[in-house]
Amino acid sequence: MKRKDTTGSEQEKMQQLQEILLGKERAKLDRLETIVETKEDLSERVSPIIEEHLEQLRQQFPEHYRRVVDRMMEEKIKSSSEDILNTLYPVLGKMIKKYIAHQFQLLREAIDQQIRRTIQRLNFWQRFKVMVWGIGDTDLLLVESKAPQILEVFVIQRDSGLLLGNASAQKTVDSDVVAGMLTAIKAFVEDAFMDGSQDLGMIEYDHHKIYLQNFPAFFIAIALSGVISELEKGRLNDHLLDFAEQEITNKLVIPSEAGFTHISQQLENRFIGQESQLLH
Amino acid sequence: MTSKKVILTGSFGVGKTSLFNQFIYSRFSDKYLTTIGVKVNKKTIEVDGRTVALMIWDIAGEVAQDKVPTSYFLGASGIIYVFDLTRPSTYHSLTKDIDYLQDLTKGAVIKIVGNKKDLVSEADISRISSELPLPHDLLTSAKTGENVNELFYQLGAKLLD
Repeated sequence: MKRKDTTGSEQEKMQQLQEILLGKERAKLDRLETIVETKEDLSERVSPIIEEHLEQLRQQFPEHYRRVVDRMMEEKIKSSSEDILNTLYPVLGKMIKKYIAHQFQLLREAIDQQIRRTIQRLNFWQRFKVMVWGIGDTDLLLVESKAPQILEVFVIQRDSGLLLGNASAQKTVDSDVVAGMLTAIKAFVEDAFMDGSQDLGMIEYDHHKIYLQNFPAFFIAIALSGVISELEKGRLNDHLLDFAEQEITNKLVIPSEAGFTHISQQLENRFIGQESQLLH
Repeated sequence: MTSKKVILTGSFGVGKTSLFNQFIYSRFSDKYLTTIGVKVNKKTIEVDGRTVALMIWDIAGEVAQDKVPTSYFLGASGIIYVFDLTRPSTYHSLTKDIDYLQDLTKGAVIKIVGNKKDLVSEADISRISSELPLPHDLLTSAKTGENVNELFYQLGAKLLD
């Protein structure tokens, strides 16, 4: 009994000694534990340190990471060059067309002004002759002709010839097979006569024409009957470029059922029966 | 429905167009083959409940594959290389032709097919098989129709995998 009492009393003394020696440290430890386990307290202490490091990173980021970012962007552009080209092609096509049309307009106005100046210098008899017989080789002939009609429109994947979408005024042909044959004809002509450096732009037969508007990953073939002027052809081309830019995303240049339905519907809405809006 | 471009190629006179005509009804006449060197047609098949439209490009035969315009091969998912079991000259360049086609159409499924099976005996077939530089996938007869459907269905199944 006495031995037990001695052990118990020794333990109590040890505990008291520990409290005296380690009391403050224990209290600190308890406080730290509370801070770590309480989100708000921890956040209050850690947040300023993180903010400071983030600010340093923001300021030093260009200096330390510019080369890494440049390299990543270069690799990304290289791997996505086809996607970038598909996106830019319709936009660039329109820009170039507008510039050329503008230059032609300026040239035409300059010619008109020159002609007027020339006519003003003529005497009465010379002016009469010009009015009756025209001016040199610049006669304009207006021909009564059949109004143009859009018969079919195809969007075709460039290499494989697979049909991406199609709309037709009169459903008479197997569009898949026509798309394949158009691609084969195009490949043959470009290979045989153009050395692969140019694109076939038109196939003409009697009063029918098939215009081909080429893009990096696909081409659009539009079959027309009737006579179409250069101005109308230019307007139609603009609409094709708009269509490609707005409706044919990079995902849709890979054949799929959903893509086919979407493109075909848009072709139907925009081109079939829309000659008056598209050409005038 | 999935569409896949399939090329039928091989030397002249091996029976490509006959296989083509045996398998499908041809919309365009054979004159296209002699004018632009290719004729396109379509056959829709069902494999394991899935439908696939095979756009088949029958390419005019050349002695060497590199004489055929490369643009005809672009975008192809499958190639059927046909040789004539009765003419060894049509399979002597098999390795070189297949290597060329593999390079041109990376990832395309290639089937090597010996045609005109109806004109050779079983003994001849064994001898020819041992002489071939590469193993063949099928032996067909466009005349009797033997293995013609099997060829296109096997290819269709592989393309849908």
